[in-house]
Amino acid sequence: MKRLSLFTICLIILVGSWLVLRFGIGGVVSVPIPASVIAMYMGLIIIAILVHISVEDSLFQEFLRPIRETLVDDRRRIRRRVIAVLIPLFLLGYTYSIIAQRASPPGSPRDAHPSPPLELTYKDEVIGTMQDVVNPFRHYEKDDPEAFKAHVENGRRVYYQNCFYCHGDHLDGQGHFAPYLQPLPANFQDPGIIPNFQESFFFWRISKGGPGLPAAGAPWDSAMPIWEDYLTQDEIWDVILFLSDYTGYQPRTFGEAH
Amino acid sequence: MKIYLFAGLALLLACCYVGGAFAADSAETESLVFPESYSAGGVSNGGTISGVVKFEGDVPEMKMLEITKDQAVCGAAEKYDESVVVGEGNVLKNTIVYLIDISQGKDFDKATKLEMDQKGCQFSPHVQIVPVGARLTMLNTDKVNHNVHIFSSVNKPVNKQQTKNRRKMPLAGVKKAEGPVSVKCDIHGWMSAWIAYVPHPYFAVTNEKGEFTLEDVPAGTYKLGYWHEACGSNSASPASVTVEAGGTVTQDFALKLK
Amino acid sequence: MKNRNIAFLMLIIGIVVGSLPSVVTDAQDAPEASERGKEVYEESCAHCHGTEGRGDGSAAENLLPRPRDFTRGLYKIRSTEAGELPTDQDLYDIITEGMPGSSMPGWETSLNADDRWELVAYIKTFHEGFKEREASPREITLADKISYSEESVEIGKGLYTDLGCIECHGNIGRGDGTSAPTLTDEWGFQTWPANLTQGWNYRGGFDTEDIFKRFIGGIAGSPMPAFEGDSFLHFGLTSEESKRLTELENKDEMTEAEEEESGLFYEKMDAAVDVALNRTEGMELSTDEQQTYDDAMKVVYEKSWHLANYVKSLMPEERPEPAIGNSVLRSQYVQGALPTIDDTAWETFEARYFPLVGQVVIEPRQFNPTIDAVNVKSFYNDTEVAFLFTWDDRTHTVDETDEETGETLEDALAIQFPVKVPQGPTAPKPYFLYGGRLPVYLWHWKASAPEQVTELTAKGVDNVQVQEVQGDLQVTGTYTDGRYKLWVKRVLKTNDKKDLQLDPGVFVPIAFSAWDGSNGDIGTKRVMTSWYTFVLEPMPSSRRFVYPPLIAILSLGLLVGLRAVVQRRNS
Repeated sequence: MKRLSLFTICLIILVGSWLVLRFGIGGVVSVPIPASVIAMYMGLIIIAILVHISVEDSLFQEFLRPIRETLVDDRRRIRRRVIAVLIPLFLLGYTYSIIAQRASPPGSPRDAHPSPPLELTYKDEVIGTMQDVVNPFRHYEKDDPEAFKAHVENGRRVYYQNCFYCHGDHLDGQGHFAPYLQPLPANFQDPGIIPNFQESFFFWRISKGGPGLPAAGAPWDSAMPIWEDYLTQDEIWDVILFLSDYTGYQPRTFGEAH
Repeated sequence: MKIYLFAGLALLLACCYVGGAFAADSAETESLVFPESYSAGGVSNGGTISGVVKFEGDVPEMKMLEITKDQAVCGAAEKYDESVVVGEGNVLKNTIVYLIDISQGKDFDKATKLEMDQKGCQFSPHVQIVPVGARLTMLNTDKVNHNVHIFSSVNKPVNKQQTKNRRKMPLAGVKKAEGPVSVKCDIHGWMSAWIAYVPHPYFAVTNEKGEFTLEDVPAGTYKLGYWHEACGSNSASPASVTVEAGGTVTQDFALKLK
Repeated sequence: MKNRNIAFLMLIIGIVVGSLPSVVTDAQDAPEASERGKEVYEESCAHCHGTEGRGDGSAAENLLPRPRDFTRGLYKIRSTEAGELPTDQDLYDIITEGMPGSSMPGWETSLNADDRWELVAYIKTFHEGFKEREASPREITLADKISYSEESVEIGKGLYTDLGCIECHGNIGRGDGTSAPTLTDEWGFQTWPANLTQGWNYRGGFDTEDIFKRFIGGIAGSPMPAFEGDSFLHFGLTSEESKRLTELENKDEMTEAEEEESGLFYEKMDAAVDVALNRTEGMELSTDEQQTYDDAMKVVYEKSWHLANYVKSLMPEERPEPAIGNSVLRSQYVQGALPTIDDTAWETFEARYFPLVGQVVIEPRQFNPTIDAVNVKSFYNDTEVAFLFTWDDRTHTVDETDEETGETLEDALAIQFPVKVPQGPTAPKPYFLYGGRLPVYLWHWKASAPEQVTELTAKGVDNVQVQEVQGDLQVTGTYTDGRYKLWVKRVLKTNDKKDLQLDPGVFVPIAFSAWDGSNGDIGTKRVMTSWYTFVLEPMPSSRRFVYPPLIAILSLGLLVGLRAVVQRRNS
């Protein structure tokens, strides 16, 4: 078997690592890797190859040999001609595609969670600080399961009269209005939502809705209504109980590490 | 044994309660009361019950119907809502008067033509009595498309298209006594009539003069009921009439709006 | 090695056997009603359908179509004949797939198959008829399907008129028939006829078979009649006879001979109808009668397949791809005059399809939208931009009085831009609903003044101002067969500071609101979108014909040069 030339090996390494980065890791192991990151890795690999071949002059000569042969050797005439056509053609197509590309709109706003104000209010009435306010009915869970159940049931009613259009029958953010809203309504079945916030945070988001989002971190396009205009405080606390009861996720409580 | 009876009674009461509650929500029309069983045979020397139904109170002005389509046919003459038709001397048309508790008597007169016409985009008659199992023929003298939509719930609901050239459309006989049930034409939303599917022939509908006659009634004492779409029924406290063989007894009614 | 093979084989067998039960359940009838069914029902269904199954759950009030009342046993989507109850499979399928165009979601992902079967069993307990039912329901046979062809569509089109479909569904199926505004369902709630051109909103699917089943079986509880047999046009006649009779019936006056001819047809029809009614009433049919019935039904089925094919022809094969958050509406550059409303230039490309949702943020709110979407196309030239908006609305409402509020309702459309384009991706946009801290610039068109658009500036729904300078826009609006078409033209640069100024290549937020007057839409009660993006698509640079060849030639030159260098060194 003929040994592969150094040039071919380098070529294989380059193409192989690109394939692994683009289709092996990105898309299979993780989400697709951004093109800029791939370019960075490829740059590193090219530098490594260059370092390797330039360590010894003989290595470098060996590396150049096939290139040189292709360029001048009569036995390589066919290969030479093919390359002389392919490379300019490729560049032609590539530059055309770059120049003719349609501009794309500014990126969509980042999907970070807004930071709440320090004080929790209902309409204009101050309830307390965001840190300290707790759901006034939460304690029934231990003290009086019957009363707790009644509050959850009331929360259920509130939910299905007001929220399920967007947040869905199953609290999964897939209500019948949901697909065409931007950003999408919250999915309470997502383990990253309920356990990450205190109940006071939910009270704030529900009562102030999209228009109550802070100026910082904008633009917010949330279609969430200002529910304090329609719901009583108790109803908001009840619906929060229902959210955690239905999904089985407990909201974060004060005292845990943030 | 007693226990079963008691339980049965309780169940019956519960059903009535549930039924009643439902009727209240949806403003369902009151129903006629039918005997549990009826055996038909010859009646000799029966008596007659007759009378006049009058309207009591301020006579509501008949509402003119808004004709929204097929003007040439439907809008040729002014049309009025026929839910309360009061004639000279405050007599009330389209009231069903019937025997509630008769279990034995004459057979239906098979010669009676059972027809309901769709004429000028109104049903005629407005109230039709149809024996259980008999076929009612829908006529279409309009030469426009109609659909016959009978809102049965005890029997299977009927919704059939009667295209403009179909002069006669017989409908299958029903299995159970029911009614009165509403009849509508969805194509002409204002068209409205009533059909009562009855198990015995002692039903009459008052004419323009508010008159009704029940003939060949075997001698005896009966509960006499009425039903009117806007004035309701007296099934809770029916009139009591005693018919003598060969005699005529008169019973008038005065009805108020519900 | 052998052992391992055997183990592998066992594993495969295990997997196959393991997956069997689900296959088996699919073919079964529902199990007996159980506590589990009740539990699942109360957790997942009762909030709409009510604990007693009466369709009166806490959410019901704001839903149209209303959640079904199960106590009546009236099911819209069935594979059974008119008047029959559905099969268990029918119920299971609806639970699994949901009902498009309504608020009934599919439960395939949120409930497992066993639970869905338990639900079927439990739902059946709400209606006595399921218990009383002796035989299995008569199912509609799909065996003699007539496949789609131009010819079949043509026949179906004739039937569409002859059967009266047009009364509710309108000339070309947009649900805009003259009877559409007055329809109510079995419970007295308002209901709208299907827009047949929007297959994706068909509750029971839009395959030809689905459509066929809806004709034959009817849509129980709705105003849609069933065409199951004896009420079908010319029931009992062959297709040829029916054709001839139609000819005769369409004559203003018949000759004596024609009277006689049609009389014979009517006799034949009466006889067939009689047999069909006997069958409905439960009588045994003689062999001859059965034959008569079968012959008549064959024609009914045949015609229904043609009609189904026609209905199928009214809709696009698939729903247009809905715009989602990052979708861009691109205006195409043309040289010279912009196309007017009826110009065929508009037909050369697909519109952007923007689904509309009910406005539920600010009272009064709209929970039951009747407008599905607005389709938008745009062209621009060096000085002007033109838009073509189309949207389906079943009624042309210009001055309907709301019975409750006394306000005048009418159809309308508003197109919204920010007054100033936000600079950069994190720059704030105005609130998507008529602006807020930041103002929006609006074009408000009303059906009552179709040749006019009002320019507005708004900082929230309560703070809307009619601009002092009007007349920057040229407008034409039309309504035909259930569809609005609105053409708007504006100069790119106006002299009004309160207007948005347009430049090619700049991405501009855009949003839409629409009002259907006959659905009670007024003010904030409307349907709308959140922000999308609009751009005057820059002309592709002419550099694209210069640089690429240049670079290609350069690279070739480089190769040749390299070769020369190497050659020289070698020698």
